[in-house]
Amino acid sequence: MSTSAPPRTAVGAASTRVPQRDRRRGRRRGRRRVGANLVALIFSVVWVFPVYWMINTAFKPRPEVMTAQPIFFPQHPTVSNFVNAFEQSNFLLDLRNSVIVVVSAVLLSIVLGGFAAAALSRFRFRGRRTIMVVILAVQMLPPTALLIPTFLVFNELNLLGTFVGLVLAYVATVLPFSIWVMRGFFLAIPYEIEEAAMIDGAGTWRILRSILFPLVLPGIIATSIFAFITAWNDYLIAYTFMKDSTMYTLPIWLASFSNPQSGTDFGGQMAASVLFSLPVVVFFLLIQRKLVTGMSAGAVKG
Amino acid sequence: MRSSTVDVVPSGGEAAVASSPQPHPRPRPKKNLAPFWLLTPAALVLLTLTIAPILLLVGLSFTDYDQKSLFTGAFAGVGVSQYASIFTDPEFLWSLVRTVLFATALVAGSLVIGMGVSQLLTRVGRTMRYVVTVVLIFAWAVPNVASSLVWVWLFQPGYGVVNWLLTQARVFGDMTDVNWAESPALAYTAIWLLIVWQAVPFIALTLNAAQTQVPAEYFEAARLDGANEWRIYRMITLHFLKPTLLLVAILSVIWDFNVFNQIWLVSQGGPGNATSTLGIWTYKTAFVGFHLGEGAAIAVVTTAMLMALTAYYIRNLLRSGEEL
Repeated sequence: MSTSAPPRTAVGAASTRVPQRDRRRGRRRGRRRVGANLVALIFSVVWVFPVYWMINTAFKPRPEVMTAQPIFFPQHPTVSNFVNAFEQSNFLLDLRNSVIVVVSAVLLSIVLGGFAAAALSRFRFRGRRTIMVVILAVQMLPPTALLIPTFLVFNELNLLGTFVGLVLAYVATVLPFSIWVMRGFFLAIPYEIEEAAMIDGAGTWRILRSILFPLVLPGIIATSIFAFITAWNDYLIAYTFMKDSTMYTLPIWLASFSNPQSGTDFGGQMAASVLFSLPVVVFFLLIQRKLVTGMSAGAVKG
Repeated sequence: MRSSTVDVVPSGGEAAVASSPQPHPRPRPKKNLAPFWLLTPAALVLLTLTIAPILLLVGLSFTDYDQKSLFTGAFAGVGVSQYASIFTDPEFLWSLVRTVLFATALVAGSLVIGMGVSQLLTRVGRTMRYVVTVVLIFAWAVPNVASSLVWVWLFQPGYGVVNWLLTQARVFGDMTDVNWAESPALAYTAIWLLIVWQAVPFIALTLNAAQTQVPAEYFEAARLDGANEWRIYRMITLHFLKPTLLLVAILSVIWDFNVFNQIWLVSQGGPGNATSTLGIWTYKTAFVGFHLGEGAAIAVVTTAMLMALTAYYIRNLLRSGEEL
C-alpha cells in the first residue's frame, strides 16, 4: 500500500516543511484509505457471496435454479419456494417443537444461571475458583463426550426421543456459558450501589431483586439470546436423540429436506435455510455490540 | 466479603429501628448462606447433567456396552482392552493425524484472515467499516446446518456456482462436473473454506475490539519516528493484541478440534474415511455401529487431549487479567 514519493520533495524552506509534510501525509493517507476501502469491498463481496447465493436461489423459480450458466439475479423472482417449505410436511410442527424445546431450555438455564452468576460474582467463598474452572472446562469438552453417556442414561430412563430429554441436554450445553457470561455482567456493576442499599437495611434477597437483577437485565437478555442461538442451532444432539420425525427440531428437518421426486430441490432447501437462519441473523444484529463480551467463554461459536 | 467499615449512619425510619444505643454499624452476619442457596440449584443440575455423565463415560470406556446392551442392559467389563485396541488401531492414528493437521490448517487460515480483516477495519472509512461488520455478522450468524447445505449447493457438480466460477477463471481447466465429495483433497478444501468462512467473523471482530483499545499516541509517536506500517503493526499492534490473540487462538484450536456438523453434513467423513476426524470416528463408532463402550474410550482419549489445551487456555485467561 506504499505510494511513490511525490516529485516536490525538496522544495520549500524549513518554515513551510512541516505543513507541507502534513499535507503530503494527508494525501498519502487518503490514497491508502481508498486502497483499504477497495480491499474491504472485495472482501465483503467474497464473504457475503454464500449468503447472497442462498437468498438468490431461494427466490428462483424451479427452471432458473439448475442451469448450465448460473443466474445471478432471478429473472422471475418468486416466493413459491418459501410457500413450498411452509407446506412441506412437518415444517410448522418442527418449528413448534424447536420453539418449545429451545425456549424451555433457555428459561431454565437463565433462571438457574442468573442465581449462580449472582453468587459467583457478588460473594467470596471457598471453592468459587474451582467452580469457575469446571464451568469453563465443561464448555471445551468434545461434543461426543457428553452425548454418549447421556444417550445411555436417557435410554434407561425412557427420555430418548422426548422433549424433556432434549431440554435437559440443552440445559447441559447452555447453562455453563450462561453462568460465565452473566457473571461478567454482574461484575461490571459497582459494589458501592449494593453497599448503599445494605446501609439502608436491604437484605441479600432484596438487593438481588430490586437492584442487581434490574441492572443486569440487558446482560441477561443478551445471554438469553446467546443461549437461544446455541440451542436453536443444535444438530448433533437432536439428530442422535430424536428418531420420530414428528418430534424433530428444525435443524433435523432442514438437513433431511429433499424432494424425493427430483433429487434435492435446492430452491426449496435454500428457502428453508433462509427461514431457519432468519431469527438467528436478526438476533445477532440485535446483540451485535455484546457479541464480543461472550468471547472468553466461547459463548457463540460459528 | 466486602469491608463493612462504612461510617454513614442510616437515616429516617431505618434509624428508628436501630434505636438501641449502638455506636457502630450493625456487624455483618459471620456466615452468609445466600451464595449457597443461589448456587445450589445450578450446581445440582450441572452435577447431574455434565459431571456425572463424564464419570459415567470413563466407566463406560472399560465395558463392551453395545447395541444389545441398550435393550437387555447386559454388558461386561473388559478392562483396558479397548484402550489397547484403540492405540494399536491404525484408524485411530490416522484420525488423530487428520484431526491435528486439519485443525492446524483451520486455525492458521482463520487467524491469518481474521487478523488481516481486523487490521483492515482500522484502515477503512466509516461506511466500509459498517459494510464489512454487517457482512461478518451475516457469515457468523448463519447456523452451520444451513451453511453446510449452502456449501453443498455452491459446490454441486454440474450446477454449482463455484464450479462455474472456477471454470470461468480458466486456471484449473473445466471444473464444471468436478465432484468435490469424491476426492479427499477437494472435500477438505470445501470444508476448510466453510469453517474458515464462519470462523473469521468472530476472530476479526474480537481482535478489532482489542485493537481499537490501543492508545493512538503510540502510533503517532512511531510515525513521527519514521517507522513504516509493517513495523508499527509488528511492534505496537501485535504487542497489544498478543493476550487476546492467544486466547482466540486457543479457543480456535479447541473448536476446530471438535468440528462435527460441517464435516458430517458436507462429506459424512468421506470419501471412504478421508475426512473422518476423531469426532466423526467417535460418532460413527458409538452411534452408527453402536459400540458405545468403544466410542466412550475414544471420547475419553479425545477429552484428555482437549483438557490439556483447556488447562493452557485457563492459565492464559488468568494471566490476561480475567478473575475467576
